[in-house]
Amino acid sequence: MFLVTVRLPPEATLAQAVERLGLSEEEVDTGYGLVLIDPTQGLYGLRVTEAAARRIDPATGEGPYSDPPIEPFGPPR
Amino acid sequence: MRVLIQLRPSSELVAAVTDPAVTVSPADVADGLPGVVLDASYSPVAVPRPVPAAGGDPLSLSGPMTFSLAADDASVLVRGEISDDELSTRVSLLPGTRTDVVGVFADPVIEPNITCGGDPPVGDWRDVERLLAVGDLAGDGLDGSGVALAVLDTGINHEHVALHLDREVTLDGERSWVPGGVDGTPGRFAVDHGTMCAFDALIAAPKATLLDLPVLLSQRQGGSALDGLLSDAVAAFAHLREVLNAQPEDRRALVVSNSWGSFSPRWDFPVGHPGNYSDNPAHPFNVIVASLEQAGADILFAAGNCGRDCRDGRCAFPDRPIVGANSHASVLSIGGVDVNNERVGYSSQGPGRLAKRKPDVCSYTHFSGSKAFGDDQPDSGTSAACPVAAGLVAAVRTQWPASRLSPAQLRTLLRRTADDRSTAGFDYDYGYGITDSKGILAALRRRKDA
Repeated sequence: MFLVTVRLPPEATLAQAVERLGLSEEEVDTGYGLVLIDPTQGLYGLRVTEAAARRIDPATGEGPYSDPPIEPFGPPR
Repeated sequence: MRVLIQLRPSSELVAAVTDPAVTVSPADVADGLPGVVLDASYSPVAVPRPVPAAGGDPLSLSGPMTFSLAADDASVLVRGEISDDELSTRVSLLPGTRTDVVGVFADPVIEPNITCGGDPPVGDWRDVERLLAVGDLAGDGLDGSGVALAVLDTGINHEHVALHLDREVTLDGERSWVPGGVDGTPGRFAVDHGTMCAFDALIAAPKATLLDLPVLLSQRQGGSALDGLLSDAVAAFAHLREVLNAQPEDRRALVVSNSWGSFSPRWDFPVGHPGNYSDNPAHPFNVIVASLEQAGADILFAAGNCGRDCRDGRCAFPDRPIVGANSHASVLSIGGVDVNNERVGYSSQGPGRLAKRKPDVCSYTHFSGSKAFGDDQPDSGTSAACPVAAGLVAAVRTQWPASRLSPAQLRTLLRRTADDRSTAGFDYDYGYGITDSKGILAALRRRKDA
């Protein structure tokens, strides 16, 4: 899965994002949903399959962005 | 006693010492010094002469100056041994006996004494409490009351924290947040790294309200047992903005402690790729960090445990290990010192990748505290230093909501009042220095009176 972003009006839904990006529901992590990243830009994020991420049209969305594993720093090993 | 003897021999001899093509022995420089056994294994070393700028004080070393290794200016050091039983007499008389002797100096044994992972605790959390001047903070009404202190980690065990702090601990389950797919209730997770962080955060802010966000327990595709994905942190930060927006605008106080990060570029796009995280302020997580800070949250990240002296074995970035949001300009990046105010060897050094001047400041780690990893194990890593500093920030927020002191102003306050550990202000080991509660209190009192 990859992160992609899309600009939408306030109170946008995942369905709106999927439609805007031209994706199918199977290509999206619906459990993760649509996350508001920056309200001032109307910027939202969602997780999509690698194939879907590579199809994103720059006119409608941005990405793919990396989604690396994150770990607790301690204790030092 | 071993000593260093500084001499000013002939200019020809000084020239020979400074010439790497010429071999000069200690005896060539200092033969016949009474009562001194020269160390033949120590090659003479040329010492440059400080030359003050034009018009400068020739007897001061604090003004602007240059350093000259010219044969007529430089001196030479040799190493030797003087018997302890007549040490003071010989050290006093030596310069008078030989006109070429400039001075005699102690040559103490220097040993690496740096705290590393696996070392036993250095002090305990009561020492940290004292160093943070928690009594003074409380005296000024700065105890964390009414401040939300979010711990993004492996989950908090509320009972363990309260037991080991031996006091009541407030955790708000309603405002906490659990990633999809994670089983568990806020405050009731297994004792682990997140419990340590919660304990450490409450040292300086005993009355803060914990919010539990176990992002590192996520089991999403791509994750493993005790890690999460950056996208979980994106969702957690989006939740925290809702928490912040629900607070009255004139009393916003949300501190976010993050003792985690990405250890390897392996899972990231290369630097320069538009989807890269480590070096790219436009990555969605780096954008949401900036957005939450702008809304009034104080965000702290551990600098990481990739310090050159004893780096964590997981560190895979070849250089500049403070990456991504851990190096964001809108966060405080926290390095680690022990309770003796010495940097721990694993504390990551700057420059940061998003903002160069990282870490910002240092706070305390490697002390006996939560016992989350066993009775004899320290709260360690910059993982502990970060929540300790977050607690201090939460204490300040008790009386100083974001409407009175913006997150940027608060960061400046912590940097400006930090106890500088170098001679030149900011450095990549300690940042601006070690957080100084008394300095912060003095500055806040002045601000209040203004």
